[in-house]
Amino acid sequence: MSPDFLNFIETVLNGLMTGVMYALVALGFVLIFKASGIFNFAQGVMALFAALTLVGLQTGQMPFSHLINATFGTDIHHWGPGLPTILAILMTMAVMIVLAFTIEKVVLKHLVNQEPIILFMATIGLAYFLEGFGDLMWGADVKPLDVGLPTGGSFWLEDVTTSWATAGSEYYGMYIDTLDVSAAIIAIILVIALTIFSQYTATGRALRAVADDHQAALSVGISLRSIWVIVWSISGFVALVAGIMWGAKSGVQFSLSLIALKALPVLILGGFTSIPGAIVGGLIIGVGEKLAEAYIGPLVGGAVENWFAYMVALAFLLFRPQGLYGEKIIERI
Amino acid sequence: MNQHINPGSMRADDGIEKGGMLLHVDNISLSFGGVKAISDISFDIKKGEVRAIIGPNGAGKTSMLNVINGFYHPQEGTITFRGEKRRRMRPHRAAKQGIARTFQNIALFKGMSTLDNIMTGRMTLMHSNILAQALWVGPARNEELAHREAVERIIDFLEIEHIRKTPVGRLPYGLQKRVELGRALAADPALLLLDEPMAGMNLEEKEDMSRFVMDVNQQFGTTIALIEHDMGVVMDLSDRVVVLDYGQKIGDGTPDEVRNNQKVIDAYLGVAHD
Repeated sequence: MSPDFLNFIETVLNGLMTGVMYALVALGFVLIFKASGIFNFAQGVMALFAALTLVGLQTGQMPFSHLINATFGTDIHHWGPGLPTILAILMTMAVMIVLAFTIEKVVLKHLVNQEPIILFMATIGLAYFLEGFGDLMWGADVKPLDVGLPTGGSFWLEDVTTSWATAGSEYYGMYIDTLDVSAAIIAIILVIALTIFSQYTATGRALRAVADDHQAALSVGISLRSIWVIVWSISGFVALVAGIMWGAKSGVQFSLSLIALKALPVLILGGFTSIPGAIVGGLIIGVGEKLAEAYIGPLVGGAVENWFAYMVALAFLLFRPQGLYGEKIIERI
Repeated sequence: MNQHINPGSMRADDGIEKGGMLLHVDNISLSFGGVKAISDISFDIKKGEVRAIIGPNGAGKTSMLNVINGFYHPQEGTITFRGEKRRRMRPHRAAKQGIARTFQNIALFKGMSTLDNIMTGRMTLMHSNILAQALWVGPARNEELAHREAVERIIDFLEIEHIRKTPVGRLPYGLQKRVELGRALAADPALLLLDEPMAGMNLEEKEDMSRFVMDVNQQFGTTIALIEHDMGVVMDLSDRVVVLDYGQKIGDGTPDEVRNNQKVIDAYLGVAHD
């Protein structure tokens, strides 16, 4: 095989890995949007908050230490050596569930039957609150996150692929980050698990029912409020997984919450109501932007990755506003 | 073949004898803004009967059903269901207490299969928690399977085996109505509210539906409140009829009594209101 072709394959593979990560973030949006019609602007911040909490618990950081030290003149930073990773993850999940309960009690409950734009505004408020709260609780410094996943390039793949190139050509093998590979595998497992849960359990059925028709759901005895707590908890879980993956890749810091912006074009592509759409949309955006960077980038001086996704989204808005898999928008006159 | 479904069996016995008072609404008034939809209506539903609610368009029939199952909250009046008196119902509470319903403009879960739609009807009878369900462990699994069996019997009863796996959005109107009845039946309801179950059906479909409604009432003893425009159906099926017009009750009694009530005749023949 020619080195050019192998480079192409490498670009596509890397694109797929990135795409899975985007899909993971988009998934959190879709879950909430389907069940309640709310576009949750805070999804990215939820991922940040989950990652911060996880690091905090893992390293035994004292929550609100700055606040405590400033108030009482103490100098506390840690309460102990920290928790084992698994325990820290479970406790973070518990925190995300508490968060879902609180959001329902404090925010959503009071906004039942309001216009979508009002609910959207509420989630913007929530995003800023959570961002500030996360800072206050765990501090604003950049933290490394290590959950024991392998990182770095795969030497095995490099060795294997080097021999694929045509003899005599200067090809040194494919570079694939092992962290990306584990992220992709975990994301795939997560999606399969969610699908099975929603297809084969009573609660999953209730979730689908609520997504389909609120009034009918009420009439069979489904409580919308408990369903909302459940979807926000599940999205919290998805946010946690996304937070772990992105945090492990590039550190836990404020910019983590901006991955939500990358989920937007994914959603426009896949449709706001479709889980398969979020996955396929994520993959297309991921592969598309890597290919664009590799092949259009040199022509325009690079940095294509930063805007390519949004251009694709724009094109989609013009020609297929409901997305690839979204419900068709039909206006009756 | 149908005696196995036996709705009511899974609900705690309310101790009300057949013919005893299952529900009564007292002095219900409901308005939207300044518009009165229902004014000062009282009537009762006895256990085991088919109670029809009739009246011209806009008489407040559907509003009345919506009050009973908690979609609307009346400004005045009380609802007493199974001896428990309250000002307002809440929809999912009403469902938990055994009030199931169908809708005038079918409200099914369109993306879900017939089987799944009817399974949602059993929601209030399932008790395993979300974690047990997620892990598909013993009790949750057995529960799911037991309910599945009950649902299969309802599917047999309604003769819709051939569309078990079809997404209901794709079904013809008459079959959707039948699936919706199935979902309501799946709840083992103590009171079944049917909002125009035969609307928009052809003669054959109407006959089928009438037969199902009658069977549900006679074989399982389910109490039914029914809104219907087809007078032939109403007179055949119901034990007692309440007639509404412009949000007020203008007649109440057996089909024969109602048929000979002058106010009712006027309302239907369009005598000018003053």
